[in-house]
Amino acid sequence: MKIRHFAAAVLAATVSFGAHAQQLVPSPTLDAIKARGHLECGVHLGLPGFSFANDKGEWAGIDVDYCRALAAAILGDSTKVKYTPTSVQQRWPILQSGQVDLLSRNTTITFSRNASLGVNFQGINFYEGQTFIVRKKAGITKPDQMDGATICVAAGSTEEKQATDWFAERKKKVTIVNFQKNDDAIAAYDAERCDAYTAGFGALAGQRIKLKSPDDNVILTELISNDPQGPTTRYGDERFQAVVRWVLNGLIAAENLGVTSKNVDEMKAKSTNAEIRRLLGVEGGFGKMLGLSDDWMYNAIKQVGNYGESYERTVGMSSSLKLPRGPNQLWTKGGLLFTPPFQ
Amino acid sequence: MTAVHWIRRNLFATWLDGIVTLACAALVMRYLPPILDWALVNATWNGADRTDCAAGGACWVFVRVRFGQFMYGLYPPAQTWRVDVAAALLVGFVVPLLMNSAPYKKLFGFLTLVVFPPVGVWLLLGGLGLPVVETRDWGGLMLTVFMTVYAGICAFPLGVLMALGRQSRLPVIRTLSVVFIEFWRGVPIIAVIFLASILLPLILPAGVGVDRLVRAVVGLALVIAAYMAEAIRGGLQAIPKGQAEAAAALGLGYWRATWFIVLPQALRLSLPALANEFIALLKNTTLVLVVSLFDLLGIVHAALADPKWVGLTMEAYVFAGSIFWLACFGLSRWSAGLEKRLSAATKH
Repeated sequence: MKIRHFAAAVLAATVSFGAHAQQLVPSPTLDAIKARGHLECGVHLGLPGFSFANDKGEWAGIDVDYCRALAAAILGDSTKVKYTPTSVQQRWPILQSGQVDLLSRNTTITFSRNASLGVNFQGINFYEGQTFIVRKKAGITKPDQMDGATICVAAGSTEEKQATDWFAERKKKVTIVNFQKNDDAIAAYDAERCDAYTAGFGALAGQRIKLKSPDDNVILTELISNDPQGPTTRYGDERFQAVVRWVLNGLIAAENLGVTSKNVDEMKAKSTNAEIRRLLGVEGGFGKMLGLSDDWMYNAIKQVGNYGESYERTVGMSSSLKLPRGPNQLWTKGGLLFTPPFQ
Repeated sequence: MTAVHWIRRNLFATWLDGIVTLACAALVMRYLPPILDWALVNATWNGADRTDCAAGGACWVFVRVRFGQFMYGLYPPAQTWRVDVAAALLVGFVVPLLMNSAPYKKLFGFLTLVVFPPVGVWLLLGGLGLPVVETRDWGGLMLTVFMTVYAGICAFPLGVLMALGRQSRLPVIRTLSVVFIEFWRGVPIIAVIFLASILLPLILPAGVGVDRLVRAVVGLALVIAAYMAEAIRGGLQAIPKGQAEAAAALGLGYWRATWFIVLPQALRLSLPALANEFIALLKNTTLVLVVSLFDLLGIVHAALADPKWVGLTMEAYVFAGSIFWLACFGLSRWSAGLEKRLSAATKH
């Protein structure tokens, strides 16, 4: 290991001195993906908007889109992915035992998972967190306007505790109405027995369309808890980890730079913006540095679209879930979504 | 006997019977019409998506659109004929075996137990001229039937051996059989499937992958084998000692006496119990959802995650439930018929 790290340091130094004929750090995962000709991606069993098999039997959703983008970046073809649906209990062993190359399956990034499960989180593709769904006519836009409201929750759930604590801390009086199950709680909310129901931001999107008249209900975009989610790899193989991280960054950067699946050809041919040119492989040779072809991000954006396009198509306004961007908006537009520069 | 007679005798024999009958009738009157309204009268059968389901009843459009997936999982549509052929073979081999009057019982038994298993796997999995369809794409009713049949075929001989072993005079064999049976009977199936699919890959060296489906089928088979062994032991114990002794007196050794004299009678006696185990096995296959295999229940559940169909829980589970009910009811009718026939056969 020591020797490998030393070698990596030496290589990094060589690269930073601008040597183009570089030698790459070995990446068994990337080699294996190229050899077998497809990416192995662990996804959720079925979560509306995030990961599900559609009528045609194809996997779709925002987490699935990330796998497709990664396959396009590595193999040049977004369809070269095989999906392994994973249950909550299975996800870690499946990743640890090497049955999948990565997990892209809404799983909260936490310190203890990173430290004790031998997994690394490579960035955030969805800022999940607890929030509320309320009726539009109530005119509530933020959780702290909910003074005096009644909230339906499943008894003993994390959501119950979190909501109680959050309002107590802010000295707001709310009435918590307990139900045995989540389904009962949301049914009671739908029957107007309470003013609000609480769950994760992304989870509420799937719940809202089950209501009698979805359009009369709004999901608050301010979150009272912090459960970010993103692609996850196992320890080791730093070059593959870098690829996973920078493909996600690239999708976010593309949105920020205004590069979409529709204008990517034009951007590649005509753009004078240096960062766009580096992102699309016109200059800088960034793909090669990771052991990929220079058009890695061009392929991903062309075939899957930038982050915003993927979001709108899967969970956002062009999908039936109609989830607002909320925290999953670019940092330049008041959201949390951020990427370091392509330099 | 006239209808009035029949009603009086069967429904209003005593005043208590009368009250029970009236209460049941009231319940049916109260709950049946809304159920029928939902399932049939107000239901929507034709359309493309849920917006066509405006009648307020069941949205069977969902089941129609997803029917292929519910039957075959994510099996490539161009290849599903292979599943159909395998199913036809299975039915063709098993039905004559179950029918009382059909000839060539031995031939069909051989076809079902020896010829079908490899041919079925070849048809479903591919290779040797057929394009390969990985087990990860299998699903739906096909996967449920596959797991039931293959776990059953593996479990049955193992169960017979264990049952015989438990009766053995040789202490080592007897102890091993008892340990095997009691161990697998004592652990919940869900734990077995879980361990087989999650612990095994961590223990095995990297690169040695045993297919997820195989692990689940083996796990199911081991547990069911233990249950079957107990069912068969019941049959064995009901055979009078004199049978084996008479066979020995004729000069038959242990294996021949068991094969020709004891086992045929014991199996006949334990058939109803075995059929019971088989029904339990069919229902237990749904537990593979914990290892993300999409059996019938799993694929129906997964379909509900499509934003296009979110919330149609009732339709989904009513559909899956009816299929399971039909399969289990069919099996139990068959075993009841068998029982009747066998008891007639033993009464001389």
